[in-house]
Amino acid sequence: MPREIITLQVGQCGNQIGMEFWKQLCLEHGISKDGILEDFATQGGDRKDVFFYQADDQHYIPRALLIDLEPRVINGIQNGDYRNLYNHENIFVADHGGGAGNNWASGYHQGKGVEEEIMDMIDREADGSDSLEGFVLCHSIAGGTGSGMGSYLLETLNDRYSKKLVQTYSVFPNQMETSDVVVQPYNSLLTLKRLTLNADCVVVLDNTALTRIAVERLHLTNPTFAQTNSLVSTVMSASTTTLRYPGYMNNDLVGLLASLIPTPRCHFLMTGYTPLTVERQANVIRKTTVLDVMRRLLQPKNVMVSSYARNKEASQAKYISILNIIQGEVDPTQVHESLQRIRERKLVNFIEWGPASIQVALSKKSPYVQTAHRVSGLMLASHTSIRHLFSKCLSQYDKLRKKQAFLDNYRKFPMFDNDLSEFDEARDIIESLVDEYKACESPDYIKWGMEDPEQLVTGEGNASGVVDPRMAF
Amino acid sequence: MKNEEEERVVMEEDDHQKASDLVHELVLRLLSQNPRTPNPDPTSPTFLKTLRFAHRILRSRLTPSVSPDASAIAESLKRRLATQGKSSDALAFADLYAKFASKTGPGSVNNKWSLLYLLRIVSEDNKLDSSLLLPNLNAAVSSSLGNKKTNGVLLVSKDPENLRDVAFREYANLIKEENEVTEEVLVRDVLYACQGIDGKYVKFNSEIDGYAVVDYINTPRATRTMVRTLSELGWLFKKVKSFISESMDEDVGTVGQAFCAALQDELSDYYKLLAVLEAQGMNPIPLVSESAGGSSSYLSLRRLSVWFAEPKVKMRLMAVLVDKCRVLRGGAMAGAIHLHAQHGDPLVHDFMMSLLRCVCSPLFEMVRSWVLEGELEDSFGEFFVVSHPVKVDLLWREGYNLHHGMLPSFISPSLAQRILRTGKSINFLRVCCDDHGWADAASEAAAASGTTTRRGGIGYGETDALEHLVAEAAKRIDKRLLDVLYERYKFKEHCLAIKRYLLLGQGDFVQYLMDIVGPKLSEPANNISSFELAGFLEAAVRASNAQYDDRDVLDRLKVKMMPHGSGDRGWDVFSLEYEARAPLDTVFTESVLSKYLRVFNFLWRLKRVEHALIGIWKTMKPNCITSNSFAKLQSSVKLQLLSALRRCQVLWNEMNHFVTNFQYYIMFEVLEVSWCNFAKEMEAAKDLDDLLAAHEKYLNSIVGKSLLGEESQTIRKSLFVLFELILRFRSHADRLYEGIYELQIRTKEPGRERNKTQDSSSSWISEGRKAITQRAGEFLQSMSQDMDSIAKEYTTSLDAFLSLLPLQQSVDLKFLFFRLDFTEFYSRLHSKGRES
Repeated sequence: MPREIITLQVGQCGNQIGMEFWKQLCLEHGISKDGILEDFATQGGDRKDVFFYQADDQHYIPRALLIDLEPRVINGIQNGDYRNLYNHENIFVADHGGGAGNNWASGYHQGKGVEEEIMDMIDREADGSDSLEGFVLCHSIAGGTGSGMGSYLLETLNDRYSKKLVQTYSVFPNQMETSDVVVQPYNSLLTLKRLTLNADCVVVLDNTALTRIAVERLHLTNPTFAQTNSLVSTVMSASTTTLRYPGYMNNDLVGLLASLIPTPRCHFLMTGYTPLTVERQANVIRKTTVLDVMRRLLQPKNVMVSSYARNKEASQAKYISILNIIQGEVDPTQVHESLQRIRERKLVNFIEWGPASIQVALSKKSPYVQTAHRVSGLMLASHTSIRHLFSKCLSQYDKLRKKQAFLDNYRKFPMFDNDLSEFDEARDIIESLVDEYKACESPDYIKWGMEDPEQLVTGEGNASGVVDPRMAF
Repeated sequence: MKNEEEERVVMEEDDHQKASDLVHELVLRLLSQNPRTPNPDPTSPTFLKTLRFAHRILRSRLTPSVSPDASAIAESLKRRLATQGKSSDALAFADLYAKFASKTGPGSVNNKWSLLYLLRIVSEDNKLDSSLLLPNLNAAVSSSLGNKKTNGVLLVSKDPENLRDVAFREYANLIKEENEVTEEVLVRDVLYACQGIDGKYVKFNSEIDGYAVVDYINTPRATRTMVRTLSELGWLFKKVKSFISESMDEDVGTVGQAFCAALQDELSDYYKLLAVLEAQGMNPIPLVSESAGGSSSYLSLRRLSVWFAEPKVKMRLMAVLVDKCRVLRGGAMAGAIHLHAQHGDPLVHDFMMSLLRCVCSPLFEMVRSWVLEGELEDSFGEFFVVSHPVKVDLLWREGYNLHHGMLPSFISPSLAQRILRTGKSINFLRVCCDDHGWADAASEAAAASGTTTRRGGIGYGETDALEHLVAEAAKRIDKRLLDVLYERYKFKEHCLAIKRYLLLGQGDFVQYLMDIVGPKLSEPANNISSFELAGFLEAAVRASNAQYDDRDVLDRLKVKMMPHGSGDRGWDVFSLEYEARAPLDTVFTESVLSKYLRVFNFLWRLKRVEHALIGIWKTMKPNCITSNSFAKLQSSVKLQLLSALRRCQVLWNEMNHFVTNFQYYIMFEVLEVSWCNFAKEMEAAKDLDDLLAAHEKYLNSIVGKSLLGEESQTIRKSLFVLFELILRFRSHADRLYEGIYELQIRTKEPGRERNKTQDSSSSWISEGRKAITQRAGEFLQSMSQDMDSIAKEYTTSLDAFLSLLPLQQSVDLKFLFFRLDFTEFYSRLHSKGRES
């Protein structure tokens, strides 16, 4: 019972980062481009069946669904080196091939249209697993297919596989450069609503930060998508190492996420990784210690989410949870020392309404991949400063919405034909999410939302009743 | 001429008569002065004896050590009289002396100074008035008179050659007169005595426990003493001899036999000496005068004492050893003998060395064959290694031990330990490991240490060689043993397997096992068959990466149902065990395995709690809660719902924090660190004992740090209280969410309806909703109360646990506290609690 995880790559971006992810997994597990186990890959200790299934003794196939509404990226995959890796039955490209035109509503609507076909693929994949643990969705929130169709899939999965985990790797658009997608704020907002309501865990991959890291940390003047995507695949593969190399703890996704997400709504995780290298880049890095890694992971410059917080707010920001996955040859005694140092120097601020600590998972490194550094580390953290990212989305949306710009494109689709209440509802939800993150910074989070019924989850309580005096804390 | 001659003879006879009369009178006078014999009878034997003694002294050739100056002596006599206040006597003496000195010519005294000397002695002795000195006085007097006799002091000066002869003859006659037996006879008898045989006159006297001249023989005391002294050798000989003959009859063991043989050798040397002496004793003892010409190989008692000096030292030593060793055997005997070897006298030292070499040779042979062949050739129980008949798995720990009583002091305890271990290793290899390669290692060791594997390679005194041999053998044999354990029996792999399965290191396996076995284990223990559980175990192996493990390892993994009572659930009795087969059962003994079992049960319990918490999270996972708006609920109920959910989440977070960090503690501070140390020590281990100690340390450190030790009973109890609470929390949380989902369904369905048929059905919906709201309110309220009470109880219990932590001895538990209180949440809470 391998606790299988099915990956759904939706849209152009989703398929690109998905492809990088599978490349990395193949390397780490010693699987060739054709899905054949390499002769040298005999050392074992890894679990390939979480992400792959076996067609026969030697042949491994990713548990992946490649979904897009336009054929360009998927054609690229089908003509590329890895064309024989994927199960061709798992590839879905819309018949018309016209894409979603960067319109969330179009993607969502088309998703509804092909629901049956896609759900059949998902069901088949799910039936092929002994004990399905959950789904991983790779997509971007700004475009049309990944955001719109991805949103629809999230809702459907939540409904159909309510007991299964749904994790997403969501790419947030680069805010620093003017996007060619002008309706990006609309798309982001609508997707964020689904990410808030229908996903169990969202790993935020902020393109702004990824580009910044590529420029600053890797000294690339003009990073390409391939280069930032390789950062993403590094993060994705590192965050799944404990699932793929079983140890004493954190052997399944639930166990991994449960401790990271104690508050159901605040399930957006940011990541950090060190030391960073881009594929094929000869970057000699000094030998690193566990303390080095753990300290660097706490530095904002290594975190893959940009912080729009002002100074005062930044100082109030708090970690709700941290999990460091350390890979490589590590002396376990160093972990404790590092934790002690970090506490002594007060390098990290945690929530005050409950106990918290830095969790450290040690994981094996793939014996088939040579790296320049002895130790590397990935941080998965729930941090309240992520609310500023959402606030930014909100403010951009507000600007656009005020101008009533580009709304016609959305009105064409049934969801918006009557009114634009969907936008308002999404806005309320994101706002209350921001509020909840803010509340987490206070020691009184436990009482938050109890006094004023108007602040409740969806904010649309039509209640007339009086607050029960027993419930007033 | 002839006349003159005659005249002189007559005169001499006359002189003679006169002198003897004078002596007679002097003795009589002196005796009469003696208070003990006031009226001496001139015919009594005492008087005659004294007289004779006086004569003898006078005839002796002894000369006083004073200068022959007559006037000086006279002067001193005079002065003494004067100082004593007898001035008239002094004047009279001076007068007399002047007359005496002036008298010359025939009939006068030639040797004037001796006469004066005599007078002085007499006067001094008179004052002493000692009966003991009386014979001496007599002698002194007679000697002074003897100067007129033919055989006396004067005579010697006249004709030295002739007179000396005469004197010796007379002395011989005197001796003959006093002794009833000749010295030759006594010498012969002494020689007999020295062989433990009674002679004619020298016989064993049981009263004094020794040989002595029989009482009825008249011999001088000096001779008696001498004989007695000489014949001590006989007494010693008899003792040694009797020990040897006794030992012949008894079982004294090989060392005892070797000792007897060495003694026998020594005795035969002694016999040889006696034979030579006996031959010499046939020669008559010559007179002093004859010594110049005659043969020198004769024996007198004195000569004998010279001859006997060396044998006596040896014999005495042997007798002492015999005494010491009478009750000892084997190594103890060798050790006792060794104690006497530290002697400064080179003679004794050499003798002891050669003796010990013989005595120890069987012992060293035992060491050699034990160390190189693992053979315990010890039919008499003499070796310091003792074997016990035990089962194979106990061979190493209990099969052999040191018999300290049999450990000779020249083998140090550490060397003995090494010797013990080396042979033990060979036997362990042979019996438990079924290995034959050790023989090569042994012969290599023998070659390296320079001794061949033949017998008698090393002797006593070559401790270095012995140590070298043992060191070489130990090095190779132990290496061989470890190699066999590591490579053939895969010790490390099995340790790792135990770590993976019994210490839950193989996470995916454990998780799956927990998943499938969990529901079953909630049933009463009686309903569970271990057969069924074995099936689950097999399934868990097949489903996890454990399937790629060595078949040999997997075959050893078994389900164990512990003895259970009536109220026990499956959780209480389920356990995994790892079968240790020979030779690894020496390491994984039953007590070791039972410790592993305890650790497993503890970790399994911890995992179960973790599993329960993860289970709760699954039911309350984000998209189950957030995707439902509960929009149709009355706001008071909504508030209640929110409050209940929040409490549940916060409590869950606290519990999860505790359990996760406890697990991290177990993983980093307990399992991995202990394993790291163990792996290092395993590398460094030189022999099986090191390995056993390392493993023991490893296991004990795990047991101790996991709060399973005796000393952490209280804290363990409080930990289990927490575990129980968490499990209780799980059932509450499950009920809460079950209720919430029900609520969801009930409010959702009409909600959807409403969108379509808003007007027509609004009345019944509101009515139904009222009832639902009321029920939900009641439900949530009771749940909240339950949750509160659990939270309260949990806080108290956790507080108790945390307060116990600093009291623990183990340093590592401070790490646990550090982890649990990483953000100082509890410290703050505590100080806040104290303030209020």
